[in-house]
Parts: sequence; structure tokens; C-alpha cells
Amino acid sequence: MRKLILAAAALISACSSGRNYAHAIAALVDVSGTYVDQKPEVIGLIKKGILPKLNPGDSLFIIRIDDESYRKGNLEGALTLDVRPSKANAQKLAFAKKLDEFGRKRERTKHTDIRGAMMLGAEYLKESGAGWRTLVLFSDMQEDLPKGVKRTLAADEFSGMRVLAMNVKRLNADVANPTAYRARLASWHEQITSHGAKDFQVVMAPEKLDELLEN
Amino acid sequence: MHTLYLWPDSPVVSLLVLWVLSQLLLWAARGPMHRALKSLGRVLSGALRVTARWCKSLSTSLAWRDREMMQEIGSSNAQEKLAKEFRRVEGSLAKELGRYPALHRKMDDLVSRLDADYHDCGNAPPSPPGWAEAAAALAKVQQQNGDGVVRKLLEEMHKAAQDSEKKALQEYRESTGKRHKILGSMAPMWKELTGNAAEAGKSVAAALETAKQVDAHMASYEKMRKGEDKAVRAMGWQSTQLFVASLFVLAVALGGAFVNFNLIALPMSELVPSGSRIGGIPVSTVAALVIVLMEVAAGIFALEMLGITGFFPKMDLLPASRRRIVLFVAVGGLFMLACIECSLAVLREQIVESASALKQSLAGISDRSVSDPAFSRIPVVGQAVLGFILPWILAMVAVPLEMLIATGGHIALTVSAGILALFSTIARLLGHGARYLVEAIRHVYDIYIILPLQLERLATGVRGGLSVREPAQGRARR
Repeated sequence: MRKLILAAAALISACSSGRNYAHAIAALVDVSGTYVDQKPEVIGLIKKGILPKLNPGDSLFIIRIDDESYRKGNLEGALTLDVRPSKANAQKLAFAKKLDEFGRKRERTKHTDIRGAMMLGAEYLKESGAGWRTLVLFSDMQEDLPKGVKRTLAADEFSGMRVLAMNVKRLNADVANPTAYRARLASWHEQITSHGAKDFQVVMAPEKLDELLEN
Repeated sequence: MHTLYLWPDSPVVSLLVLWVLSQLLLWAARGPMHRALKSLGRVLSGALRVTARWCKSLSTSLAWRDREMMQEIGSSNAQEKLAKEFRRVEGSLAKELGRYPALHRKMDDLVSRLDADYHDCGNAPPSPPGWAEAAAALAKVQQQNGDGVVRKLLEEMHKAAQDSEKKALQEYRESTGKRHKILGSMAPMWKELTGNAAEAGKSVAAALETAKQVDAHMASYEKMRKGEDKAVRAMGWQSTQLFVASLFVLAVALGGAFVNFNLIALPMSELVPSGSRIGGIPVSTVAALVIVLMEVAAGIFALEMLGITGFFPKMDLLPASRRRIVLFVAVGGLFMLACIECSLAVLREQIVESASALKQSLAGISDRSVSDPAFSRIPVVGQAVLGFILPWILAMVAVPLEMLIATGGHIALTVSAGILALFSTIARLLGHGARYLVEAIRHVYDIYIILPLQLERLATGVRGGLSVREPAQGRARR
């Protein structure tokens, strides 16, 4: 009898919720003056590269990077897919329309609060309870905080998350001095991995996003 | 190496001293070393010989067990065949004997009618004897006697005799004609009788053929019971053939199951929560796998109830009515599952089409010409048909599965026995090798200390080499 109970317990523990296997992605889109021209391309990348890869139960958060990104209002859209594929497809279509609307918005900010957006995205990812969490940054990775804005990351800010920097635009200064550009990315790598992130990768080719989002 | 030098500054002297010391030490320890090496050789070869013997005995035991199993299987197969033949004979006899009274009655009737007809033929009125001679005598009297009255009388009598003869002849002809008619009517009866006799002959020939087959099965059964080598070997070969054939069919069925599984795995996510997982596998995948396994299970039960397979002996004891119920449930379940799969296959195509449309829409492609409905119906119909047929084919897997299980024992025992026999041979070879290796080490040892040995020989004056002195106790024990 005891063996039977133990076997049943093992079976129950083996059956687990799908939440641990779900994938939550937060896409942070830079709308600052130096990157806003990339917005249509970024929207296209999200629609073609991220949205179709989502499976039933997965989540996607779109967060805007602007002057002060750690605002709730910076969440442009959130989506958690239904467990039925047909309904999930309908949700994806509806979300794609929302993304198009976001892409059509004409906004340009003076400053770039990347860490604020990352903190907001990390919070949403943690709240989703998904087993796989990914932050995808669409930015030039040149942070420029307004006066009086402070961003201090917690030690476990990106705990268990992967951070991907997509479509990183090279600024004029970067073209003139690539070392500065590389140093900037290395500094981000150090900062992100030292705050608990599993990995930080700069993705050059959009088609690589597919395999990077595989869980 | 340098640490071994007694005088690091003069390695040659150090090495020479070390060599001399080793020579002395090894010469002094020659006796115990030889005994130790001998013992080591004995232990190694003994252990390997024991291992070889154990492997050999285990291999023989397994081969014997396999032989017993083959004998048992062969006997039971022959028994089954005999039982089948007897059932056939019983059925045939019941059928033929059931028909026999009617046939007998028919033949009796025919014989009675033939007998009666025969009698009728035999009752022909006899022709009046002697009328011809009487008429001839009267004619002669007429010629000899000249009296008119007598002549007239005689003429009348002659005429009457002639008339009577004519009448008798006429009657005789008529009677003969009648008898011929009766005989003519007997011909179909003879034919019928011949046909019945031929039919009875055929039945007897069939019974004789069956008896021959029964004899053949009986002979095979006797051979198996006696455990004749040829019969057991033939049985083993037959089992191997069956095993290979079953394995091949099962591999094909596994391929079918894989196709079936892939056909329903995607649409199952519409029916069960696709986000949930069991042990890391999505519930929809597990559900699809369960459906495939359920089809196999239903097939096993259906074939079991039809008497094709014999997985569950208890099922044989069920009354026919209950067997019919189980069969109905199994076939009904299989039909339902086939219908579900058929609909899932259609749903799959819809999901794939929808996902493709979504991707195109997200990529901003609006050209729909690639998914022309006129052409997209073909895969839908194909998948639906496949979804309906595959469960029935999978249900048939019970037969090769049973064969594989039945013959698997023979294969496992044969392979194990072969491997053990190989191990036995290897262990035996290693045992011999170990013995001779230790012997060689002893000789190398003696070669190394050849100088002190030769000096000892010269000193003691012993010819033909020195023998190792064995301890007194050891010699006594040996």
C-alpha cells in the first residue's frame, strides 16, 4: 500500500503545470531620437520573428523605451496566448494589429532610459511565472537618462532570464570609433550578466532569432 | 631514476651495484618466487577454468531449456493441429453422417423400386409350349388320312393351333415390349444410384485424406514427444523465421503508429490543454500517444475475441455471449477511435492552413493563390482516409506481437546460450594463456639471474640445471 502511495505521489509530481514550460518574452522598443527611424523595421521583426514563434500558453509584452521607461504606461501591449491553437492564432492576429498601431504612432524622445524599461520588463516576466523568460532589446544600447532619474539594478534583477539585443544600430560615433561601440556592448554584457541574467547576446541576423527563441 | 642512485655523481657504479644486489637478492629468493609464480599460474588458470566451466554449464542448461521449450511448443502446436483436424473430422462426420440416413433411405427406395421393376420384368407370361410341334403333327395326320370330316376337324384344329400360336406370339411380343419399357425406366434410377455411390465415395475419400493428415500430425507429435533432434531443430528454425517475420511486421506497424501519432498530435492540442505537460511532454502529445495505444489495445481484444490470438487465457473461458459483447465493444471502440482520428486529421489540415495564413498575414503577404481550395481538398481527403484506415491496420499488430512474444523466449535463450558458450571458450583460452604466461615469467626470472645460477651449478656440481627445492610440507600435501 505504501509503495502504491509513493508511486502515485511520484506520478502526481511528474505531472506538472504547463506554466513552467511556457515562454514569456518582453520586447523593449527604443523610440528615442537616435533609434526611432528603426521602428517600422522593429515592428516587422516582432511580427515576423517573435509572434509566430509563440506557442499556446506563452506571453509577450511590448514595452516602449523612452525618457522614463519605468512607467506602467510604457507597456504598449501584453498578450498571453490561449491553450487552444486556433484561439491563439486569432489572438496573434489581433495583437499584430495592435503592433501596427504602435508602429504608426509618431513619437520621438530626447532621452533613452534602457534600464528602466528592462526593470519594467523583468517585473512583467517574473509576474508571468513562465519557465523561460527572455528580454529582447531593440535599441542602439546608448543609454541617456534625464536629469534626476536614477536606475540601480538589483542583484537578481534578471535572474533566470536571457537578454538578447537585436538590431543594434551603430551610431555615427560608433562608425567613427568601433572600439567605443564594442566597449559599450561589453559594458552592457557585464552589467546584465552580473545582475543574474543567464546570457546576453547581440543578434545581428534577424533569422537567428528563431533558433534563439527555441526553448 | 636518479633517486635510486646510491652515488648520484657516479651513475654507472651505482647501477652496477644495484644490479649485483638485485642478482643476489633474486637468486636468494628464487625458490619462494618460483613457488609464488606457480601458485599464481595455478590460481589464474584455475579461476578461468572454473569460469569457463560455469559458462559452459550455464550455456548447456540454457540450450537444454530452449530445447525443452521448443519440444513443448512443438508438442502443443501438433496437439492444436490435431485438435483442429479432429474438429474438422467431427464437423465433416456430423455433416456427412447427418446426410447419410437420407442417402441411405434414398438408395433403399431406389433399390426397392429397381427390385420391383426387376420382378415386373420377370413376370412375363410363358409362351405356350409345344403348339408348333402339335400343329406339325396335325398337318402330317391330314396328309395321311383321307377322311373329309376328320380332315375338316383337323384343319380347324390346325387353324386354331396356328391362331393360338400367333396370339401367344403377339402376347409375348407385347410383354417383352413392356419389360423393355420398364427396363428403360430403370436407367435414370441406376444413374442416380451411381451418383449417390460416387458422392459417398468422395466423402469416404475426404475422410481418408483427413485421416492421412491426422496421421501426419500424429507422427509429428510423436517425434516431438520423443524429442527427436531433427524435429526440435526444425521447430527452432521455424520459431526463428517467425520471430524475424514478426519483428519486420512490428517495425512496419511501428512506422504506421508513428505516422498515425503525427497525424493526430497537432489537432489534439485543440481538445486538451496544450500548455499542460506530464513529465515535460505536452498533454496533447501524451493524449495522441494514448489514443494510438488504445487502438492497439482494442485491436488486441477484438482479435482475442475472434480467437485469432491468445494473450489472455481467461478470456477463452468466457461464454460465447459475453465474448460477443467484448468483441462488439472492442470493434465499436475501434470504429469510434477511427472516426475521431478521421475528424482530427481534417482538423489538423485546418490548423496547418490557419497557421500558414497567420504567418503570411504577419509577414505582410496577401497573395492567397498558394492555398487554392480546389487543390487543398486532396490532402484533407487523404489525411481523413489515412486517419480512418490506420487504426484498423494498427489493430492487426496483435498477431505479430503475439508471435514475437511467443518466439522471443527461444531467441533470447539461443542468443544467451551462444554468448555464454563464447565466454566459456574465451575463458578457457585465457586460462591456458595465463598458465603459459606465468611459466614464461618464471623462465625470464631464471634468465635474469643466469650468472649466479651458473656459479651455483659450478659450485655444487649439479648438471642439467638447478631444480627448485619444494618445502617438505608442500610435497607431503601433493
